[in-house]
Amino acid sequence: MSAQQTPVPTAWTTGWTTVFDTGTWRSQLPVHMWRPAPCFVSCPLGNEIPLWIRSITGGSEEDYKAAWDKVVENDPFPAIIGRVCHHPCETDCNRQALEQPVAINSLEQYLGDLALEKGWTLPPAGESQGKKVAVVGGGPAGLSCAYQLRRFGYDVTIFEARDTVGGLLKFGIPEYRLPQTVADAEIKRVLDLGIEVKAGEAIDTADKLEALRKSYDAVFLAIGAQKAKRLPYLGDDARILIGLDFLEDVSRGKDPVLGDKVAVIGGGSAAMDVARTLRRLGKTVQLIALEGRNELPAQEDEILEALEEGVSLFDGAMVASLDTSKPLMELSCKKVLLDKEALAKGEIKPIPLEGSDFKLEAHQIIVTIGQDPTLDGFDTVVATEGGMIKTNGGPAANVPGIFAGGDVATMDRYVSRAIGQGKEAARAIAAYLGHPEIVPLPDYTLDDAVARNEINPFYFPIAAREERGHTAVTKRLRSFADVKIGYSEGQALSEADRCMSCGTCVECDNCYIFCSDMAVKKAPEKEEHYIILEQYCKGCGLCAAECPRGCIIMKQESK
Amino acid sequence: MIETKKHYDIPEEDVFLSGHFACPGCGEALAVRYVLNTMGPDTIAVVPPSCISIISGAQPYSSMKIPVYQTTLEASAASAAGIKRALIRQGKDHVNVLALAGDGGTYDIGFQALSGAAERNEDFVYVCLDNEGYMNTGAQKSGASPHLVNTAFTPGGKPTVKKNVVEIMAAHGIPYVATATTGFPDDLARKVAKARDMKGLRFIVVLTPCLAGWGVKDDEGVKVSRLAVDTGMWPLYEVEYGTKYTINRGPQGVPVMEYLKLQSRYRHLTPEMADELQRETDRAWELLQARATCVVSVSNAEPIP
Amino acid sequence: MSAVKLENPALDPALLQERRMLLKGNHAVSYGVMRCRPEVIAMYPITPQTPIVEKIADLALTGEIDAEIMTCESEHSAMSACITASLTGVRVFTASASQGLFLMHEMLHYASGARTPIVMPIVNRTLGSPWGFWPDQTDSLAQRDTGWIQFYTEGGQESLDMVIQAYKIAENPDVMLPAMVCHEAFYVSHALEPITVPSQADVDAYLPPFNPEHRLDVDRKESWGNVVTQEMFYRHRRDMGISMSHVPDLVTKADVEFAERFGRGYGGILEKYRCEDAEMYIVAFGAMCGTIREAVDQMREKNLPVGLLKIRLFRPFPVQAIQEAVAGIPRLVVMERNYSPGLGGILHQELKAALFGMENAPLVHGYLAGVGGVNVSVDRIEELTRKALAETPVVESVWV
Repeated sequence: MSAQQTPVPTAWTTGWTTVFDTGTWRSQLPVHMWRPAPCFVSCPLGNEIPLWIRSITGGSEEDYKAAWDKVVENDPFPAIIGRVCHHPCETDCNRQALEQPVAINSLEQYLGDLALEKGWTLPPAGESQGKKVAVVGGGPAGLSCAYQLRRFGYDVTIFEARDTVGGLLKFGIPEYRLPQTVADAEIKRVLDLGIEVKAGEAIDTADKLEALRKSYDAVFLAIGAQKAKRLPYLGDDARILIGLDFLEDVSRGKDPVLGDKVAVIGGGSAAMDVARTLRRLGKTVQLIALEGRNELPAQEDEILEALEEGVSLFDGAMVASLDTSKPLMELSCKKVLLDKEALAKGEIKPIPLEGSDFKLEAHQIIVTIGQDPTLDGFDTVVATEGGMIKTNGGPAANVPGIFAGGDVATMDRYVSRAIGQGKEAARAIAAYLGHPEIVPLPDYTLDDAVARNEINPFYFPIAAREERGHTAVTKRLRSFADVKIGYSEGQALSEADRCMSCGTCVECDNCYIFCSDMAVKKAPEKEEHYIILEQYCKGCGLCAAECPRGCIIMKQESK
Repeated sequence: MIETKKHYDIPEEDVFLSGHFACPGCGEALAVRYVLNTMGPDTIAVVPPSCISIISGAQPYSSMKIPVYQTTLEASAASAAGIKRALIRQGKDHVNVLALAGDGGTYDIGFQALSGAAERNEDFVYVCLDNEGYMNTGAQKSGASPHLVNTAFTPGGKPTVKKNVVEIMAAHGIPYVATATTGFPDDLARKVAKARDMKGLRFIVVLTPCLAGWGVKDDEGVKVSRLAVDTGMWPLYEVEYGTKYTINRGPQGVPVMEYLKLQSRYRHLTPEMADELQRETDRAWELLQARATCVVSVSNAEPIP
Repeated sequence: MSAVKLENPALDPALLQERRMLLKGNHAVSYGVMRCRPEVIAMYPITPQTPIVEKIADLALTGEIDAEIMTCESEHSAMSACITASLTGVRVFTASASQGLFLMHEMLHYASGARTPIVMPIVNRTLGSPWGFWPDQTDSLAQRDTGWIQFYTEGGQESLDMVIQAYKIAENPDVMLPAMVCHEAFYVSHALEPITVPSQADVDAYLPPFNPEHRLDVDRKESWGNVVTQEMFYRHRRDMGISMSHVPDLVTKADVEFAERFGRGYGGILEKYRCEDAEMYIVAFGAMCGTIREAVDQMREKNLPVGLLKIRLFRPFPVQAIQEAVAGIPRLVVMERNYSPGLGGILHQELKAALFGMENAPLVHGYLAGVGGVNVSVDRIEELTRKALAETPVVESVWV
């Protein structure tokens, strides 16, 4: 061996592994994204529920205001909706993977009531677009449409057949469910944006509609469904009354003359309203519905409250014949089953059960089985179908410039649906009128939404749902006081904390912290809050699994 | 008790770097991330042959932005001690020394050196990344492998129980002994920080699920880790000076089967075997609680001179 | 954690001066270590090495040694700690023997591979089984492939001096390899001799502080020991060989410089004793060389022209120096105290290999004279020498 030059040792490191592209190992890549929550998808108003509930958790008045501001983007009536919505959002709430759905409706009521208490105002009307729209009908759909149109900067005139706007909100929902002070205040707040109201001006002929069409840039038909359905086979005895007329009379302070025993026919919300109003008037109430207990279209709350209040429910039953010969009418009834195949198609087809006859007695019968729109004459201007105005699947009628929504255009007859349709119509009208900022809203289905099994239950400790207080039954029966007692601030906060914010990142850092490759980088400036470093991500999917709320999906990659 | 919370209190030092060669979703790499970033840049680490020595990088690159020395399987504790002694002589006593060893290098072949270092109360932090077997060599049994588990050496199930290294180390009377796991990163980071700021030998054993060796899905390592705790098979606790016990999180009423069924290494279990593991877990938890109560009543934690 | 020290040990300045002491060979080593100022000393007892580290413990108690003392639980841990302490950038020391050295074996490779210039005296002792405590060099010779420099010494003074020289050679930036200084059980380790302990100032002047180019340092963030490729491993081992190739010249230089400063020299790589006009060299290393000197004197008086060729550096094996030393000599006889079953005397075999291909290479006799520590007296050496001169050498080492 001879002496040679001393070499540099080979063993000391000179650099970092960050030069390696471990991302090449990957077959799937996490994509961090906003995803629709099921509550949002189910909401007929398109309410971005996780966002405003998250604002509530901030706990200050500023946070509550921010939450309310978010709500009223889609729903100008949180105090109303917070009381009367059938809340499909709660039905689909993923929280049921743990215990019970988040009480979204109660939270909305909390915000709505707080706004009225604090006198919060809606954002002002948008910059004028120099165009005007006629809204026919001042019910929930018309008011909602008018509100959104004002926000887009259109001049709006509501043509209302009654002496005042409000429709169902004022004359269809009893005081104990929706106090008039609340309805009035929220309606006034909308009108205060500069909406013209022409009350007592019914647009009920083709000529009037054509005239409107000529003087306005667009027309929105939201005339509702005013023509009550009847049961002709029961005859036309004067003691057979119509539910909506009864409710309007009561809401207008009239005291209908009735006997002690009243039968109500119907199984929907309106029938419940009639029955429960009757109980408050001291009547004995027999509620007869074709649907079985679990098929009743009324909301479960309402049914339970009605039963608490002493309504006698004859579910899965029909009145076969009526003997009007005595002051106390005799109702011959049968138990029925609904044909399941027909029910699946949305049809009601009762099958009487043999030997199930029974008899009831009543001084009056109040039929509350729904209404149809009054379209006399309109069909010469716009196409109709099935007793409703025919639309293109959205709010547009077959005539350019005419739009329709609410009960006149759908069988999906919920207040919140009507408000949602009003919003959609306003967007469609704005688009029709060439508004520069309108982009179509994505149409999500529950298949797009974060599913229950995508929720990581570890991050959500079991927490019982805060229930709204209920006025005692004895007090309810003595007055028309609000049945539901809104949340205290503490209740609202603790309930808001239960929201898992499905699909909406709250920057919990789980994806960041559980990446063994440091391939998730915080990016607070970005909408998705995090960046996936594709150079390093090996595609294990841990970030997606540990995302508590389904904000990360794994996208297959082919290389 | 540990609260599940929305934000983590884990230092974001960039000591552990991307581009390392750990398997996708590796529990050990996760643990190393929390440990190194918490120990901070003023740290010198010792790594024996193990997955960690693969993860730490192929020459000439390192995934750890601190000096790391790769020693032999049985020598981690002695090697760490040597570094610290040299640092003391250099007036750099503030520099932390960290041994990052696997369970084979801790419970088995490295135990003599570890026990010796503990007896001398050498001044460093020893973190055992316990994946319950020789996983880097293909999942053979180690002293850390649990009862009845299937390994390459115990295809019918391991006939004996897991060595209780925590109690053995606590019995040395060293300042700090703790258990941790990757499913509770806050707890892990807190313990590492606590250990870092103490003197003498501090020992933390971190249960780190090995996805390949345990037969766990790539994205379920953290879930498995949490279930280890919540079933009571891996209670989180600390022992100071061999006497002061603090239980951080015990079983949460989840049956052990919930943990076992996510791992193919337990696929062979009969219902009777599963029952046996449940009984053992219950008994071990009772024992731990009893020990925690009784030892602490005898003596509060005091440094042993 | 550090060794307990006497409070304010009033260190007598005289202790730093050159001292003349009556010391066992092992204690001489301890004093040599003391003068080298190691910063970390890892110790574990084993007969017959123990007195080295016991004395160090005493010197640390009095403050004469200022170092981190690690009382390890095994030789394996002692070596492990020495390696990392050295890599961190301080001078380290440990000592061992026999089984203890074998427990270290794995780490010996790590030490050389890590390029840590550890100096470790080995007190050569038989290896079990069966159990014994006798002088035998097989323990350290069996480590000849570990990448350590190996010196073999004859007595306490030489051992002391070689500890100092070993640090100088091992820490040379062109070397950076660990070194063993080997002396035999009892014959050297426990034998009292008058010893000169050099002054601290002289040793400081001779041996500069340890200051390696690379080290484990949080400011540099370099790591050592990551997985390498085949090619890198190949190059790493080749580099170790290159470093080894620097050692012989540096050994010679270190001895010359040592002699200049301290007035004692040992011939560097090897020493020739009364080799002039010799018909045969007795080739040996270690303690037996002392007896062979007397035997050579005795035989020279009887006009038997033989000399002693003492091999001091066994790794790297100084092939060139040996070839030069034996050129023109007809015969060599190796007398040694070690045995590799199936091979024979290790020095005998290595020596033959070193001479292979040499022009007019001498005949080489190999006698397994002292295996197991059996006494090889002056008369016995003369007897074996005459035997060698009378016979034709065989390939194998011979039990005599």
